[in-house]
Amino acid sequence: MSYTLIYSQVTGHIPYLLAGAWLTLQLACISFFIGWAIGLVNASLLVYGPRPARLAVRAYVTFFINTPLLVQIFFIFFVLPDMGILLSPYAAVAIGMSLNAGAYLTEIQRAGFGSLRRAEMDAAAAMGFSLVQTIWYVVLPHIAKALYPPLANQFIIQVMTTSIAAIFAVEELTGRAYNVNSLTFRALEVFSITAVIYVLLTIACSLALALLGRWLFRVNAKVF
Amino acid sequence: MTDRRSLFVGGAAAAAAGAALFTPGQAAARPLEDVLRANELRVGVNPTLPPRALFNDRNQIDGFEPEVAAAIARKLGVPLVLQAVGSPDRIPMVASGRIDFVMGAMSRTSERAKVIDYTVPVHSENYGILAVAGRGHTTIESLNKPEITLAQVRGTTAIPYIAHAIPNAQVLLLDNYPDRNRAIAQGRAQASFDGVDSVRFSLRPFRQVQWEVTGIAEYGVTYSGLGVAKNNHSLRNWLNIALYELHVDGTIERAWEKWFDGPMITKVPHNAFF
Repeated sequence: MSYTLIYSQVTGHIPYLLAGAWLTLQLACISFFIGWAIGLVNASLLVYGPRPARLAVRAYVTFFINTPLLVQIFFIFFVLPDMGILLSPYAAVAIGMSLNAGAYLTEIQRAGFGSLRRAEMDAAAAMGFSLVQTIWYVVLPHIAKALYPPLANQFIIQVMTTSIAAIFAVEELTGRAYNVNSLTFRALEVFSITAVIYVLLTIACSLALALLGRWLFRVNAKVF
Repeated sequence: MTDRRSLFVGGAAAAAAGAALFTPGQAAARPLEDVLRANELRVGVNPTLPPRALFNDRNQIDGFEPEVAAAIARKLGVPLVLQAVGSPDRIPMVASGRIDFVMGAMSRTSERAKVIDYTVPVHSENYGILAVAGRGHTTIESLNKPEITLAQVRGTTAIPYIAHAIPNAQVLLLDNYPDRNRAIAQGRAQASFDGVDSVRFSLRPFRQVQWEVTGIAEYGVTYSGLGVAKNNHSLRNWLNIALYELHVDGTIERAWEKWFDGPMITKVPHNAFF
C-alpha cells in the first residue's frame, strides 16, 4: 500500500510549470530592482541625509523588516481596495515585494556605504575631485565590490520569495504547482518537479550573477 | 581542488536530498487490523474549509467532518486523532500512513481516483453562481465574457469546468473562501462559480453586501467520499459499511444540518450494496 511515484501523470504539465517559472523570474527582477533603487536612496539618506529623513527611513525599515511579507501584501491586496485603491494581483504583489526588499536592501547598501574609508574620500578631495567624480571614481568602485555578493544573495532570496504570490492569485511557479496538484493529486511528483525547476532557476541566476559580477566589478563570486 | 571538493560535497548532499524526496521508502498506509491494534484512528481534515472543518473558539478542530469522523471512530471503538491537512500534503499523508483517511471536500473525480481510493459518498456538492445581487450574473452565459472575472479557490473541482464551459471569463485563483468572497465584495471579481453548500456560512462576515446565489443544475452534482490510500481494501470496506449505517441512522444528515444551516441540497443515495 506504499505510494507509487508515477511521473508520467504530471510530465505533460511541465511546459505550464515552466511558464510559471518565467513569471517567477519577472517578479523577482522587478521587485529586486525597485527594491534596490529604494534601498539606494534610503541608504544615501541614512548616511548623508538630514535627521528627519534619517528618522523616516528608520521607521520604514523597522516596519518592513519587522512585519511578515504576507501581511504586507495582504494589506495592499485586500485593505487598500476598501480605501478606493484597487490594484491588480500582479501589481499588488510586485509593490509589496519591492517595499519589503527595499527595507533589506537599505540595510545592505548602508553597510556598503559604511565600509568606505575616510582616507579614500580625503584622497579624492586632495586631488580636487568634484562630488560626481568622487562618487564615480572612488565611492562606486569601492562599494560595488563590497555590495555585490550580498545584493546577489538578496536577488536569490527574491526568487524564492515569489512563491508567496500564489496566495494572491498570481500564477507563478508555486501557484501553478498547486493547480496541477489539485488536478492530478500527484503532490510528490508535482512538487519534486517544482523543486527541481526552482533549483535550476536559482543556479542559472547565480551563474549569471557571478559572471556579471566578474565582468562589471571584478568580484570573485562563487556559485558552488 | 577546493572548488571540486565543494562541488562534490554539494552534489552528494543534493543527491541524498533527492533520494529522500523521490523515495518514500517504508511509508505505508495502515490496514484495518493495524488501526485496531494501534487503538487510534487518525483522520485528516482541512480546517480552512469551514464549516466542513474549522478551528473553534477554543482553537480546537471542529465542524461537520470532525463530527462525522468522531462517529466513525466510535463505531470502530478507538479514540480519534484529528490531523490538520492542506491541499498539497493530504495525499502523501494518507499514502505514508500518517493518517488513515482524509476528509476535506474530497470530491470524487476519475483523475483523482487514479491516485487515491474513495469510499461511498459522505455528502453531495452542489454548484452555482455567487455574485452581488442585481448585476445579472445568474447564468453561465452571463459569465462567459472577457470583461467578467471569476474569483475561485485554487484547487477546486469547478476550475476545469470553468475552463471548458466559461472559457471567455478571466479567472482569479485565490487561497481560500473568505478571500474569494472578499474579492467579489470589493469588486475585484464579479462572480464565482463553485460549490454553494457552505455559502451561507462563509458569507456571514459580509453582511453589508447583498448577495445572490443561483444554483446551476447543468453542472450536475459531485460527491465527496473519504480518501483512503490506494489498495487499502480492509479499511475502505469497513468504512463503506460504517458510512452506510451513519447515513441510515441519520447521523450524517443531522451533522450536516447543524453545520450548514439547512439540509443537504442533494441527498446522498445510499445503498446497502457497494
